[in-house]
Amino acid sequence: MKLPDEKFGMPACFNVKSKPSLFCPGCGESMILKHLGAVIDNEKIQSKITLAIDIGCTLLSWDYYNFDIIQTHHGRSVPTAVGYKMARDKRIVIALMGDGGAYAIGLQSLLHAAFRNDPILAIVINNTEYSMTGGQMAPTSLPDEITSTSPLGKNASIFGPAFHGPELVRQIANPKAFIARSSVSNPIMMETIITKALKNQITNKSFSMVEILSICPTNWKMNAAESFEFLAKLEKVYPVGEIIKNKSDKDSKSISE
Amino acid sequence: MKKEVTKIVLAGEGGQGIQTIAKVLSTALVSAGYFVSYIPQFGPEQRGTPSVSFIQFSKSEITYPKFDTADIVMVLRRRAINTIMSYIGANTQVLFDSSTIARQKFSINNSKIFAIPATKLAEEQFGNKNQNILALGVLAKNFLDYPENAMWEIISSQLGKKFAKNPDLAIKAKAAFDFAYNFQLETKKFSKPEYDTCEEIIVKKNSDRLAVIIPKYCKGCGICIEKCPVQALSFGKTLGVYGTPTPDIDIEKCITCGNCFRFCPDSAIKVSPTQK
Repeated sequence: MKLPDEKFGMPACFNVKSKPSLFCPGCGESMILKHLGAVIDNEKIQSKITLAIDIGCTLLSWDYYNFDIIQTHHGRSVPTAVGYKMARDKRIVIALMGDGGAYAIGLQSLLHAAFRNDPILAIVINNTEYSMTGGQMAPTSLPDEITSTSPLGKNASIFGPAFHGPELVRQIANPKAFIARSSVSNPIMMETIITKALKNQITNKSFSMVEILSICPTNWKMNAAESFEFLAKLEKVYPVGEIIKNKSDKDSKSISE
Repeated sequence: MKKEVTKIVLAGEGGQGIQTIAKVLSTALVSAGYFVSYIPQFGPEQRGTPSVSFIQFSKSEITYPKFDTADIVMVLRRRAINTIMSYIGANTQVLFDSSTIARQKFSINNSKIFAIPATKLAEEQFGNKNQNILALGVLAKNFLDYPENAMWEIISSQLGKKFAKNPDLAIKAKAAFDFAYNFQLETKKFSKPEYDTCEEIIVKKNSDRLAVIIPKYCKGCGICIEKCPVQALSFGKTLGVYGTPTPDIDIEKCITCGNCFRFCPDSAIKVSPTQK
């Protein structure tokens, strides 16, 4: 039998030279990137993929894979991906961003891409704060969540409650669009949802968006066990599953295969 | 402390507590009546890059926080050396961690280079969070000539919250500080680091399954240990890329569920059934 080598635990599309990656220990984003790599391997689409990455922790993935990656401006990974897709419509385009890039500075780009039904996949990583700059409060922070700019807890009467991005986008998106939320606490479901979203882009030529709830042990100042406990709390506020139009949060369909 | 301005560089791995001891040291120097300038430097990733802090103190006012050559350099990890090498001049006193850095990394003929095996002592005696306290004790005694009790008071006031949460930590930190304060520094011309990142791939197998752990990718987050349903994983002795312990697998307890590699962010572990 062949002896296991350095690539033993990695998806085939990973760039081995860039490992160990620049992400913090226990980063949820590297977990997401690993499963995205696994989906790309399963679907055998490595030669067709182009990834557009945003500013924020996502930019640390600029050499993560062995396929084309575009570094865009802050909040502009969606319009860059849309433009790329218009020029080269046979490519499969993924726009990767954090919750800051998607729901704060880049919200209009995301909304209009969904409104026009541009055939791209937007992956939004939601860890409820701005992680690269040190864990500042974001729109997605939960009420009473302690961050570095809300040391007494987020005051919901001033800064608003938790921001539900996919539910907002669903209201104006084309009916064909696939919009769902997933979490790093369930990697198998995450792979299923990403696969479904990619297939929606390939076969239906429609917009798809996946929000993935993620952990940030460094800025949450938690260990592994506490991080997953807090993630379970997040999943109660942000229900996981496919998002259906004009229904309240409780009615979102769960995907259990 | 004869010179006008004394310049100190403290360096190590992010998350080791370099900035914590820099804060303690600055506070201590302020309470001793000095003007102090302290400026931290770390990469955008916060952890995973060398963390450096620059401290200056003087009896007169300090005009600029940065400098070219330091009087005292302390370095605790091999990866931080490249960042601070240019600050070492002919008259610089160097303190390094001999359990993670080889003596040969510095100039052989320099007699101002001292060592303490901080990581080894911390792992074996004082709990792995206390390597910075060990280094601080040595700095206080041998380099700054600061009184022991006064320094400990400042440590306990700065870290009071942590100590209140975990009283065991306070006892261990106090033991580490006392030990370091009376530690005879090593001045060997040659030393081999015992606690270095393991470059090999660890393979364990039995008739049912094959487990592979790659320490040079492991960052020691502990997610695999948390997610293992049968407690087959625990922290072992081997060190990963950031000098943190990597998991050790009990291959007989393992049930090949796959949770560890499904959750591992850095592809450092994988278990697969043996092909028959």
